[in-house]
Amino acid sequence: MSVSVSVPTILRPVTKGEKTVTAEGSTLSEVITDLDSRYSGLGDRLVKNGALHRFVNIYVNDEDVRFTGGLETAIAAGDEVTILPAVAGGDNSATVAGGAPTSMRD
Amino acid sequence: MARYDSVIDAVGGTPLVGLPRLSPSPAVRLWAKLEDRNPTGSIKDRPALAMVAEAESSGLLRPGCTVIEPTSGNTGISLAMVCRVKGYRLICVMPENTSEERRLLLRAYGAQIISSPAAGGSNAAVALAKQLAADHPDWVMLYQYGNPVNALAHYSTTGPEVLADLPTITHFVAGLGTTGTLMGVGRFLREKVPDIAIVAAEPRYGELVYGLRNLDEGFVPELYDPSVLTSRFSVGPEDAVRRTRELLEVEGIFAGISTGAILHAALGIAAKIVREGGAEARADIAFVVCDGGWKYLSTGVYEAGDDAAAAEGLEGQLWA
Repeated sequence: MSVSVSVPTILRPVTKGEKTVTAEGSTLSEVITDLDSRYSGLGDRLVKNGALHRFVNIYVNDEDVRFTGGLETAIAAGDEVTILPAVAGGDNSATVAGGAPTSMRD
Repeated sequence: MARYDSVIDAVGGTPLVGLPRLSPSPAVRLWAKLEDRNPTGSIKDRPALAMVAEAESSGLLRPGCTVIEPTSGNTGISLAMVCRVKGYRLICVMPENTSEERRLLLRAYGAQIISSPAAGGSNAAVALAKQLAADHPDWVMLYQYGNPVNALAHYSTTGPEVLADLPTITHFVAGLGTTGTLMGVGRFLREKVPDIAIVAAEPRYGELVYGLRNLDEGFVPELYDPSVLTSRFSVGPEDAVRRTRELLEVEGIFAGISTGAILHAALGIAAKIVREGGAEARADIAFVVCDGGWKYLSTGVYEAGDDAAAAEGLEGQLWA
């Protein structure tokens, strides 16, 4: 089963700069193993001591896998897997985190 | 009762309104908790007031004190109001390229702003505020990301209000930032309605916001306890914008963009309940309107031609 995996900037040095990669597997764990076989070191960045790295969030079709079975989350063909680092979000505001504030662009 | 001794006494007690047109059926209903009806226009008035009151009663805050807080917006504005009323000096630590509207509002309430580096976003603001608080032991940092009183404010006010207005509640959906709303309301509702679903809608920003140097720079708020949640959804800017516009166009509710992300998750759950439950399906899904759309008008999302164009205006922003 082939799925697309979105890779955050911070991990792209490992995926040779690729922003989206494809992988095979029927569980998230198998997907990560498959990715690691082609992008050496990726597995160690995502998984520590058999569990997801504390500051890594992975979503399958936008749902956090920590609530759907973790590394054993089932994966179906066509699913979209998104990897993101855990960051401090906002507190309901529109802060600009990079570039000029939108309100000042015009 | 609609008469209060002062503006801070008017925090909370917000309306819960139905969404008859966006709800998928008469038995699977969506309800919006209008937190924009708080004095500064956001849900953050509740934790800001509670954290200041607790710091006063514990003796941490005394007359003439300086309060310091890392914030990207709403919490700072709420604290600025409370500090203005109570006579404290407030310093907000914000990313250096924060939009001008936030800064103007904070200054209007009399707050000072210290800028943190743009790179690193809110993570950098948290780190700088912690450093400044350590360098100035006489300053008081209330620290919304780790202060249990943030969640407690929702446990003791928002949660009971929702349950009193909607005793048949089956789902509660809110945004995940400091995690205070979900932790507090979630714990309260779970005690009263054991099989309730507590659902987090987490904004998914553009790549710049995730620009850490390494994974160990990541951040999980100290308040966060995943055992309170049933599920957690990541919502991108296009879906958030589409729902924000839909809420305005279909139900006449003018909300900020993070509310669109929350509504997107709530509508996804509602659709699934109808799909799986058929004619027997019933649910009462309450979700939070965090703030009104006023502070986001300059992003252009309310008037852009289509949702994709509107979402482009948010690229690179912490829009929730």
